[in-house]
Amino acid sequence: MFKAVYNQTSDMPISIIIFTIMLTCLGLISLFSISMNQFGDLAITTFTKQVLFLIPSLVGFLTIIFIPKYIIHKYIYAAYSLMLIFIFVPFLFDTIAGTHRWINIGLPVGVQPSEFAKWIMVVALARYLSDHNLRIKRFTTLLFPIFIALVPAIIILQQPDLGTAIILLMPIFPMLYWVGARPFHLFILVAPVLSIAFAFHTISFTAWAILMGSVLYLTKPRLFFGVMFYFGNIFLGLLSPFLWNSLRPYQQKRILTLFNPELDPLGAAYQTIQSKVAIGSGGFFGKGLGSGTQTHLKFLPVQESDFIVSVIGEEFGFITISIMLIIFSLFLLKIVKLAFFAKERFPGLVLIGIGTIFMAHIFVNTAMSTGMIPVKGLPLPFISAGGSFLLSCFIMLGLIIKMSDESIE
Amino acid sequence: MLKSKNLVPRSRFLVANSLIIIVFSILLIRFFHIQVYGYDKYKKRADVNRIRAIPTVAPRGMILDRYGQTLVDNYPTYILTGLPNEMGNENWNFSVISNCTSIDTSILMDNFDRYFRGRFIPSRITKDLTFDQLSCIEEHKHELTGINYIQFPERSFSLDVNMSHVLGYVKEIDRLLLSNMDDTEQYDVGDLIGWQGIEKQYENQLRGEKGLSFLQVDAFGREVGVVKDINDIKPIPGKDVFTTIDLGLQKTLEKAMSNYIGIALVTDPATGQILAFVSFPDFSPDIFTGNTTLREWREIVNNPTKPLLNRITNGLYPPGSTLKMITAIALMEGLMIEQNEEFECAGIYQFGDRVFKCWKVSGHGKVNLDQAISQSCNIFFYQAVQRISLNRFINLCQNFGFGSKTGIDLPNELAGLLPTRDYMNRRYTSRGWSRGHLLNLALGQGDLLATPIQLAVYINKIATKGKTFKPHFLLSKVPEPTNSMNLNEQTWIHIQDYLFHAVTDKYGTGSAADPKINGINVYGKTGTAQNPHGGDHAWFVGYAKDGNQMASTIILLENGGSGGKNAAPIARIAFEHLFKKNIINRLAVK
Repeated sequence: MFKAVYNQTSDMPISIIIFTIMLTCLGLISLFSISMNQFGDLAITTFTKQVLFLIPSLVGFLTIIFIPKYIIHKYIYAAYSLMLIFIFVPFLFDTIAGTHRWINIGLPVGVQPSEFAKWIMVVALARYLSDHNLRIKRFTTLLFPIFIALVPAIIILQQPDLGTAIILLMPIFPMLYWVGARPFHLFILVAPVLSIAFAFHTISFTAWAILMGSVLYLTKPRLFFGVMFYFGNIFLGLLSPFLWNSLRPYQQKRILTLFNPELDPLGAAYQTIQSKVAIGSGGFFGKGLGSGTQTHLKFLPVQESDFIVSVIGEEFGFITISIMLIIFSLFLLKIVKLAFFAKERFPGLVLIGIGTIFMAHIFVNTAMSTGMIPVKGLPLPFISAGGSFLLSCFIMLGLIIKMSDESIE
Repeated sequence: MLKSKNLVPRSRFLVANSLIIIVFSILLIRFFHIQVYGYDKYKKRADVNRIRAIPTVAPRGMILDRYGQTLVDNYPTYILTGLPNEMGNENWNFSVISNCTSIDTSILMDNFDRYFRGRFIPSRITKDLTFDQLSCIEEHKHELTGINYIQFPERSFSLDVNMSHVLGYVKEIDRLLLSNMDDTEQYDVGDLIGWQGIEKQYENQLRGEKGLSFLQVDAFGREVGVVKDINDIKPIPGKDVFTTIDLGLQKTLEKAMSNYIGIALVTDPATGQILAFVSFPDFSPDIFTGNTTLREWREIVNNPTKPLLNRITNGLYPPGSTLKMITAIALMEGLMIEQNEEFECAGIYQFGDRVFKCWKVSGHGKVNLDQAISQSCNIFFYQAVQRISLNRFINLCQNFGFGSKTGIDLPNELAGLLPTRDYMNRRYTSRGWSRGHLLNLALGQGDLLATPIQLAVYINKIATKGKTFKPHFLLSKVPEPTNSMNLNEQTWIHIQDYLFHAVTDKYGTGSAADPKINGINVYGKTGTAQNPHGGDHAWFVGYAKDGNQMASTIILLENGGSGGKNAAPIARIAFEHLFKKNIINRLAVK
């Protein structure tokens, strides 16, 4: 048994493992600090729960390690179909906290199937793209991979869980880019969204129209397509203010708050402000373990998951935050390196997809905690509390190890 | 298919790497900006977040009499408060409290709403809890949520005297009042503020300064403990106010006046200090602090004898014969009369088509100025006043303080009414009034209205030859001189003589005011003012002198009949009380 484990792990990219251990420890210390002021049964503090969640997480990690690569490749579409069924299942249960995110099967903890949708979708997408890589230069080939990501994303959006839905869509573009899709095709895909986004600001829209024109001039598509694309986007942009005005005020407000939380000072903005106060008051060295007033006086919302960075920032200071960010960036750079040196296309794509998912989580979480982007509840990998997410992270870690080719370096 | 080659251009690898580095650099800069550059700003915000300053009440200063005896004090009462956030079912809480205190739930609810300031600030439900009520609430504590009781210093008044018009009262500030106040820095809902009398006049001195106690609160505003690194600021108790009141004299006079409607006022002409201040009927000062019901309140407001009216500073009366000295002084100052010049009083005097009468139907016969004042002959003054003009008369009245506020240290004093020539013209048109009005004025009747405190200044000026001070209650106050008078020394001596004779002469009208104590000279003038609304008002104005020690009294009995018979004896009680001590001292020396 031990020998088998040793054989499987002896030539792993060891730095990835070390980074993970460091991040997990930082997460546990932060959760321990939060738990210090939680009263009640000691066994159910956030800290002890997280420690217990490490057991299934390690089991998940090792399981992935022991599954041969070709098995993963062979059965991923079946897993993808199962995943689609599972993310439907929560709709059959009562809502928890007003959402259909969890499956409650009588265990002390609920299971969140959308967490597993992330990496199953990535692997499925990787298989599709590696199978069809010869035709990737054609625009129409891009549509099916988008479909693969879009289906679970739309279902999860109904739960509703906007954060996870966005995460699901994130890996498409890096993976398409990695596999060799033309940047122009990706531009075409993104253009309509940007046309709508820029439509509300005259100067931005003008700049966007000029940029679009320049891209079309440089890439020289067929005349008919170019003209249709250009004016289609302009028309879409011009139309969107009218569509906006046809929305009801509360709908408008909801969307605006999404982009500008200051409009809703008692809601999302309150969280952003409290989070910034906590992080800022930590200073360079932090207030010390268990001394974060904002943390322990409960000024911070969902501090154990979405706002864990505020706790770290307040208690351990900028020094710890910067170390954490450097570890995360080394972690991601290592993944990209592994993807670049992978022998086959499939593992390379899986690595890029998983790297993107990690990257999206890290960026959204920290940027939200520091008020750079609107509040979107996404946990920080290996650090935030949460069983399903921790398990998911360790499975993704397993996939990284699995997909990295032994012969690199 | 698994074996398809991984052919990624190096450029795409570099793009991916630089993207990661750029994103993490941005994040690092952002954290640096917040944590290192913005540290001071957020540190401050974090402190404000966790520390809440709760004001602590400063006990109000006491009000004391001139010898340090307590007039107004504080006593601890228990206040029942409810924390809105923790109360849950308010109606249930109120019904339990109502059962214990037998106060109607609607009153409890009204109070609760009135003092409501926020979900995390306790709001007052009721006060003045008795021990029984408290123990009942303690028994039912498990049924109540968010209910607490705290100690609160309430005003308590000396039981011996009322003095409600002098002491005034304090009022609790509710939300409506606070929204109309300018000085919201110092006050908050539930605080006491001096609303009348000395409580209002010396509010700044009595109030003290609130302290601050710093509490650590969580995001929901709940207290979680004290702040270790900041010390509480202790409240500074209000300063005690020593008044010029002589509690014993006040008590005596309140008793003497208890059967009358009217006033008794004792002042010291040499300093302007007020020794006793009785305005009857009065009211118990604690009607404004206790749970006074609306019915009790209406009874006081609608009482025909107007207990809320401070008759001394806000009651307007015709001064009657007590004003005769004005005419006498005007005549002497103008050298328009000889000391022994006599006028004939036949009990009746015809002026034009009007007939004026003297109070003595048989007439006084031939009287000079001295006798006219001491015996209060009307006919003498009807004739003598014709030698002076209205302007001259009014000017002299103004010099003695009529028609303007005396500057007493009580709020809302009235100025009375002095019918100047302008006023007469406006009221009656220039042809509508004649010298007949002057004849009335000489007798203190007609349009002239004065407050008793004005009469006190008037008599104090006579007693001190014009060198008296403004009446006041604050013992530590440096007396402010009244306007200076420029009369002949002879005039002062004569007028004092006449007043002395009015008390001491065989026929003097004010003889009942003389306590007949050796060495004490009493000066005075009675008045019986006709009152168009009812019986005559009885007046006595005068002063007593024992060496350098002086005291003046003003007595007014509304519808009290004859000044000499009814008002003068009350003045005697005051003089007796004040100077008896001197006698005992003098006997002891012998």
